[in-house]
Amino acid sequence: MLGVEGLAGPLGRAALLVGLIGAFFGMIAAVTGTRNEDEKVLRLVPRFATLSCVAAISAFAAMEWAMITRDFSLAYVQKVGSKSTPALYNFTAVWSALEGSILLWVLILTCLTAGIVFKYRTRIADPMVGWAVATMFFVGIFFFILTLGPANPFAAGASGVLDGPGPNPLLQNHILVVFHPPILYLGYVGMTVPFAFAIGALITGRVGEGWLVETRRWALFSWGFLTLGIILGSWWSYEVLGWSGVWAWDPVENASFIPWLTGTAYIHSVLVQERRGMLRVWNLSLLVSTFSLTILGTFLTRSGVLNSVHAFSDSNIGPYLLSFFAIIVVVSVALIGWRGQKLHSPGTIDSPLSREGAFLANNVIFSVFAFVVLLGTVFPLIIEALQNRQLVVGEPFFDKLAVPVGLTLLFLMCIAPVLPWRKASGELLANRLFWPAWGGIGALALSVGVGATGFAPLLTFALGGFAGGAALRQLVLATRRQGLRGLLGRANGGMVVHIGVILIAVALAASNSYTHSQEMMLKQGVVATFNGHTFELTGFTTESDARRTVVAAVVRVDGGKSYTPAITKFKSMGTNIGTPSVKSSFVEDIYLTVEPPIKVSSKTVKIKVFIKPMVMWLWIGGGLMGIGTLLSAFPGRRRKPTDATSAPVPTGAVS
Amino acid sequence: MKYLKSWPVWMLMGLIVVALLTVGTTRDNGPLTQSDRIDSITKHIACPTCDGESVYVSRASAAEAIRNQVARDVSAGTLTDDEIIGSIANTFKAKVLLVPRATGVDSLVWILPIAVLVCSIAGLWAAFRRWRRDNSGEASSDDVALVEKLLAEDPTDEDNV
Repeated sequence: MLGVEGLAGPLGRAALLVGLIGAFFGMIAAVTGTRNEDEKVLRLVPRFATLSCVAAISAFAAMEWAMITRDFSLAYVQKVGSKSTPALYNFTAVWSALEGSILLWVLILTCLTAGIVFKYRTRIADPMVGWAVATMFFVGIFFFILTLGPANPFAAGASGVLDGPGPNPLLQNHILVVFHPPILYLGYVGMTVPFAFAIGALITGRVGEGWLVETRRWALFSWGFLTLGIILGSWWSYEVLGWSGVWAWDPVENASFIPWLTGTAYIHSVLVQERRGMLRVWNLSLLVSTFSLTILGTFLTRSGVLNSVHAFSDSNIGPYLLSFFAIIVVVSVALIGWRGQKLHSPGTIDSPLSREGAFLANNVIFSVFAFVVLLGTVFPLIIEALQNRQLVVGEPFFDKLAVPVGLTLLFLMCIAPVLPWRKASGELLANRLFWPAWGGIGALALSVGVGATGFAPLLTFALGGFAGGAALRQLVLATRRQGLRGLLGRANGGMVVHIGVILIAVALAASNSYTHSQEMMLKQGVVATFNGHTFELTGFTTESDARRTVVAAVVRVDGGKSYTPAITKFKSMGTNIGTPSVKSSFVEDIYLTVEPPIKVSSKTVKIKVFIKPMVMWLWIGGGLMGIGTLLSAFPGRRRKPTDATSAPVPTGAVS
Repeated sequence: MKYLKSWPVWMLMGLIVVALLTVGTTRDNGPLTQSDRIDSITKHIACPTCDGESVYVSRASAAEAIRNQVARDVSAGTLTDDEIIGSIANTFKAKVLLVPRATGVDSLVWILPIAVLVCSIAGLWAAFRRWRRDNSGEASSDDVALVEKLLAEDPTDEDNV
């Protein structure tokens, strides 16, 4: 007979099996009910969605229960659990490795599926909704199969194990482990919803703009969560890894960035389809790409084919993910091909110098950027396959190509917000761009005035000022007309997002170009100086418990507050993890790390100091992107059907 | 206001930008610390025992050894940054370079992005040509009058223009 401590495994496995059955019959009900227009069968769909969702919640709860009670009968708990892990990190240990991550994916996906079914419960007989729900169930089935097969979190472990090593030390060192993975997954998994509706639209042949309207908020929220997840990941990296950077072009980082790029292209180009009825195939392709790239990224980073400091796994899940990726791509391409005639757009773009022309250029740049990042990420695999030799593609490669791409995007952000739909005249552009351009000149003059150097960073500051001026101009005009309500809607909320992006670009340019570092041997009581700052070692602190020993150097900075860069030794793994300490301000961060080994008795310590300008603006920019996304989700001022949709066109100028 | 936004003022703005960029890009960057140089060099070298990390990022012992080697070379002051990277690459073979070479199959990683960009721009250009050809209709005077009338009612409304 099983004891309480052994119950989580069977309960979890049973819950996953029930969830799989629920998703399977949900899909069957959605498909047969939709095909036969049988409302009686369709009424079963919400029940199966609820069953699947409750089962996934139960499985997740069982896993948490197993982790909290240290149920070492499970292989997963043996791998990431430990008696000495604090409660918070024990809770987050559930998603600290592959099996738990896939379980989290299942949880979010089934909840989203149930949410969609609930939202559309009165329209479940609509074939597009039916097929969309069937698609979501299909994706759910795949992930349930993963949790019951190659990524089973409830697999029985070896007998006799009484303790485990706990999660990777990097995953028990900062509070962001609570937020970053679930938020990123909300972004990844959320992309299933617009993808499912796109499939529904293709199957039913209703490929007009209806499905876009149904899914635009879902796409926006998913994009927003993906953005927030990426920003939080960068912050985490900055606070934990000790090399003072926020982005290393690591394969796992790239796996989240590539769908973000295609998703960003989509939320721009979808406006062209809504307004002009154009780019239908392109938008469907972007959506399919975004969703399939989340699967490809998961394959690249979870299968072990690419190594990454963030991967935290090596498994046999690869063939499953690759097959699923292939199915998605083949089915989507076949459906797009099948509906080719209906996808023919009725409209045309009159001029490249128009809002839709700028969106097209934006889409080309984002797509090329996504291709560059994907190519750089998989290129080592290609070389290994072709020539059986190892190659690493790293940060300098991506930086070299990302800088011109980023500058081009900034330039587009200067021009696009002031462009009218259909066509712009030179006079109109000169009029609308005048003050934003002075904003750019002001930013450039200020940068040169404070001593900034280098072509790329100076151009970034100039374009940042220009683009910021263009975004502010739009917001000022909108709020002048409508008060604070002028901040709502996609056009205006989007400008808040633009300001966030500009702040991030400027902060990255400044911190990457003007960081100075110095290694210093500090002796207790002796003040050292670097870059106009003073550093004094005032002592050491040592904390020790069953899990780890933390030795921190207490360093007084500029004669004021003390900071404590530390080395943490995790006893079960014998791993030393450096923990930086950062003095942040709006102007610059002083980032301190301590170099091992620390010899407290010698009253000296070797520290490394990084002076990094403007880093705080990166986080402020990220926050603005989040706020802008929220503002975009609220409906702005509705356009009257009789409102003009084109720029003033001089008589006789139209051709 | 009309003269304020005329082309000579735009020319003046262009000249100011060129002048500021020239000042900013030609003046001295200020002294680099040895540590700055070591950081810059180690960002280009992969840690041979790590999961795709650079020597700059990694805290592994192999990365530490290479960092120390770079520090010694920088202190000696006889080699340029590229020569230091070259000597490390010779020791560990090319697999420690984080930037693929521009020769042989490796050059594909440089060529393909440019090829894709060129094809995309060509595709866009072809699409605009086709759209221009298809869009042969002209606005009638009634259309133009309607647009002007609606705009005159709310000339500041740019959401719709």
